[in-house]
Amino acid sequence: MKEFFKRFDILLLLTTVAIVTIGIFAIYSATFTTEDGGSDLYSKQLIFAIVGFVLMIVINYIPPKYLSNTSYIIYALAIILLIAVLFFGKKISGQRSWFAIGTFGIQPSEFAKLATIMALGRFFAAEDKERDIRNPKTFLIAAAIVLLPVVLIMRQPDMGTVLVFIAMIIPIFFWAGLSTFVIFAIVSPVIVALCSFFGVYYMIGALALVAVVLYVWFRQRWILGLVILTVNLIAGLSVDYVYDKLQPYQQRRIMAVFDPTTDPLGSGYNVIQSKVAIGSGGFTGKGYLEGTQTQLKFIPEQWTDFIFCMVGEEFGFIGACVLLILYFIIIFQLINSAYFAKNKFLSICCIGFATVFLFHLFVNIGMTMGIMPVIGIPLPLVSYGVSSLLSFMLMLGIGMNAYRNRKLYM
Amino acid sequence: MNEAGRKYIFYGITLVIGLVLVFRLVQLQLFNQSVYGKESMSNSTKTITVVPPRGLMFDRNGKVVVDNRPSYSVMITKSQFDTNQISEVAGFLQMEAQEIRDILKEVKGTNRFNPTRIKRDVEFPVISYISENENRLIGVDYQVEAERFYPNDFSASHVFGYTKEISEKQLKNQVGDYYKQGDIIGIKGIEKVYETYLRGEKGYNFIAVDVKGKEMGSVNDGRDDIAPVSGSDLHLSLDSKLQAYAEELMKNYKGAIIAMDPRNGEILCMVSKPDFDLGIFSGPTDKKVLSDLTTDPGKPLFNRATMTNYPPGSTWKMMMGLAGMGSGEITPTSTIVCGGSFTYGNKTFGDHGSYGAINIVKALEKSSNVFFYKLVLQLGLDNYHKYGTILGFGQKTGIDISDELPGRLPSEDYYNKVYGAGKWTKGYIVSLGIGQGELGVTPIQMVAHTSSIAMNGLYWQPHFVRKIVNSTTGEDETPQFNSRQIDLPLEYFEAVKKGMYLVVNGTGTATNIKNKDYLLAGKTGTAQNPHGNNHSWFVGFAPFDDPQIAIVVMGEGAGWGASFGAPVGGALMVRYLSGHSMDVFDPDSGNLMQVRD
Repeated sequence: MKEFFKRFDILLLLTTVAIVTIGIFAIYSATFTTEDGGSDLYSKQLIFAIVGFVLMIVINYIPPKYLSNTSYIIYALAIILLIAVLFFGKKISGQRSWFAIGTFGIQPSEFAKLATIMALGRFFAAEDKERDIRNPKTFLIAAAIVLLPVVLIMRQPDMGTVLVFIAMIIPIFFWAGLSTFVIFAIVSPVIVALCSFFGVYYMIGALALVAVVLYVWFRQRWILGLVILTVNLIAGLSVDYVYDKLQPYQQRRIMAVFDPTTDPLGSGYNVIQSKVAIGSGGFTGKGYLEGTQTQLKFIPEQWTDFIFCMVGEEFGFIGACVLLILYFIIIFQLINSAYFAKNKFLSICCIGFATVFLFHLFVNIGMTMGIMPVIGIPLPLVSYGVSSLLSFMLMLGIGMNAYRNRKLYM
Repeated sequence: MNEAGRKYIFYGITLVIGLVLVFRLVQLQLFNQSVYGKESMSNSTKTITVVPPRGLMFDRNGKVVVDNRPSYSVMITKSQFDTNQISEVAGFLQMEAQEIRDILKEVKGTNRFNPTRIKRDVEFPVISYISENENRLIGVDYQVEAERFYPNDFSASHVFGYTKEISEKQLKNQVGDYYKQGDIIGIKGIEKVYETYLRGEKGYNFIAVDVKGKEMGSVNDGRDDIAPVSGSDLHLSLDSKLQAYAEELMKNYKGAIIAMDPRNGEILCMVSKPDFDLGIFSGPTDKKVLSDLTTDPGKPLFNRATMTNYPPGSTWKMMMGLAGMGSGEITPTSTIVCGGSFTYGNKTFGDHGSYGAINIVKALEKSSNVFFYKLVLQLGLDNYHKYGTILGFGQKTGIDISDELPGRLPSEDYYNKVYGAGKWTKGYIVSLGIGQGELGVTPIQMVAHTSSIAMNGLYWQPHFVRKIVNSTTGEDETPQFNSRQIDLPLEYFEAVKKGMYLVVNGTGTATNIKNKDYLLAGKTGTAQNPHGNNHSWFVGFAPFDDPQIAIVVMGEGAGWGASFGAPVGGALMVRYLSGHSMDVFDPDSGNLMQVRD
């Protein structure tokens, strides 16, 4: 028995079950006043949660070698589905990202996250030859593995999911051994660009910081350092240009992050109402099914992207913190598994999954609390959505597998 | 960097993000809970505004003169309303669908959750149709309100004033936030000045609403509801019978009549003709009727009693006498020689007759012009302006109805401004002595002035409201108005009053209204009118030894003071004092029916 727990990630499994259970209660609360048949969403979620649970257990016991070996096939399948959805997908509010199968919708881009991370893991863990990310060719191929689904998802278009893919690149490459210098060269222009959005002084400050870092740590490669600084400068200056090129609704969404009242009935509306919902929950919440914001449907999409409002309103600060702690248990557990796994494929997968969880968490919850733009990505394991639920549970199944096989090299 | 280092970087980033989220939760849920709690409360609560009935007005004998009657308004709550039903609603309201759309378009923010008025004064069958179909016509509702009703045989339109739906501009400029779109507010007259008393305080019922805005019952069992406070009733000094009589007297003329109790400043009647039917403004006002009113050349909306700026003619001579005595230029007995005319510089000013050396009493009785030409030149413009101001001219009387103008009391500054310093001579002011020229007064100033003479210098702020009674709170308030004693010796007033007595009872200009039962005193005036017939003025008070009523009559273009103003004023005073009809003046023919005794 002791041996069993040593090799079984019971913490990850129980945490997952807890979050999924909270999610089903949340979906019930968010939809039970709906009269247009929405009230059975929680039962669909429950059925697929059970399916997901079984799959997690099954994956836990699959030898890592098989997982690794099927990665490219899964990736290829995901790409084919992403292409197919552009032609046969159902168009919902301007996006073509769903296959409608009966009463269910399948969203290939959710599975593509899993498939892409697995493919990257497979790529870096190749048995036949040493794959060094510092080799430009390797770097480019690895980047291409991520960018292929990105291009397809951009065609749908689903910018929220695209951002998830972009966000996973650097952490995975970093984990795979990309040098801090290259990471810095890639990340710093993004940070400078973000800073320059707040004003020219922020941009100058960020540039100065970049210069200091370059001088202190990377002084010996000063020519490259100057190039990086120049790139940073260009990135900072081009923000205004790019902002002007954005669609007005995209500009409004960005502005609404800083001041939702600038667009109270448009993109700011969700944010205002979701802040009211979470804020009015207070310390202990209004009680299950007692949240007026949730029950009276002041928040659109409250059973999918905005479901955190329901948690914040009805379960209050305590409930929201419990949920956050559960999420961070999962993320730390994944990071630990990535660190301890001797198998490089599993290690890369875990760090990729941790990144995706963290990004989803930060953007989704940040969005409902008005500190992130309104980007339509689900809250992992809680938001209603069969594809997203299964995809995240499969990731955690692999996470359990990594824990179980952490001593295994192959 | 080794593996462990990389791991700690991941730990660090995860931790930072976790802390950011928790800090934000603390900020929203712990520090700002009350703010967001209130907002979520207002989201899920529908507030029903209960508009209390507007206060009534009673005349001095307790008769209702401004009443309420029920009126139904159809309301739409935008957040609940299905716009597919707009044409049906437009149909039974007999409106264009576009009109309703336009109204709803203006409803923004949280007002979406509150009912908005679509149409006022809807017929009862429409209301019963709405209540029969309430399950289908979601968001369509009605509200019963009171609208003004005037059960009178007179109009007193400028006195009562009227109410209207508050304009966007008024909404924007209001102090505080009491008024909402669609509220009724007093626009003119007493309705405007006493708005805060008459309107009462709105009440609010809080109703929980479900997803579709369907009402689920009172929030907190109605314990949070705020009951309305009904509007206060006003008890006016107006005498309905006298008002009706005065309006009858003026019915074929343009001008104003005011009667005032000189002992306390209470207005007994106030007429401004032509006037208008106040009923036009209760309920929805027909645009055509309204534009006819505003473009009518007779200017019926203009209150001649408080806003005209005509010279007072010879009714000004009491003021001249008081100023002359007050400044020491004359005494009650000193005389000025009055030939038949007066020449100043190269201009000659005429008179009605040659009276020799006469004192102020005789000058008033005969309405001698030369006396006052000479007097004004002795007096000078500074004294003229000084005593005019002391006696209440060139300033508003402060009467408690809206829209009063101060008239024009010329001063040196005035002449310097109009003609330029040094570019005018004393000759310019000669005609000021007989109440002509650039002088302008309002009838309300004249009646307040006449009252103060009758009361030996006690000057009252004229007013209508005697008592304010609130039926909900039981409060009973007597508004305070100003009075002051004009600081001049009694004998000056006695002299002026004696002159006014002789105008009627001696050999003056209004002996045609001498009455055997009541001692009337007064003064006629004829103001030159460059645009047409002269304006006829008469001021008076009675009884001479115990003044109970002071009056002013101003007939625009009605000719001599003696031929219109005096008989009308005399008739009014006698009618008031006798308490019964005593028709001395026939308004149809303009003839005096009963001369002297």
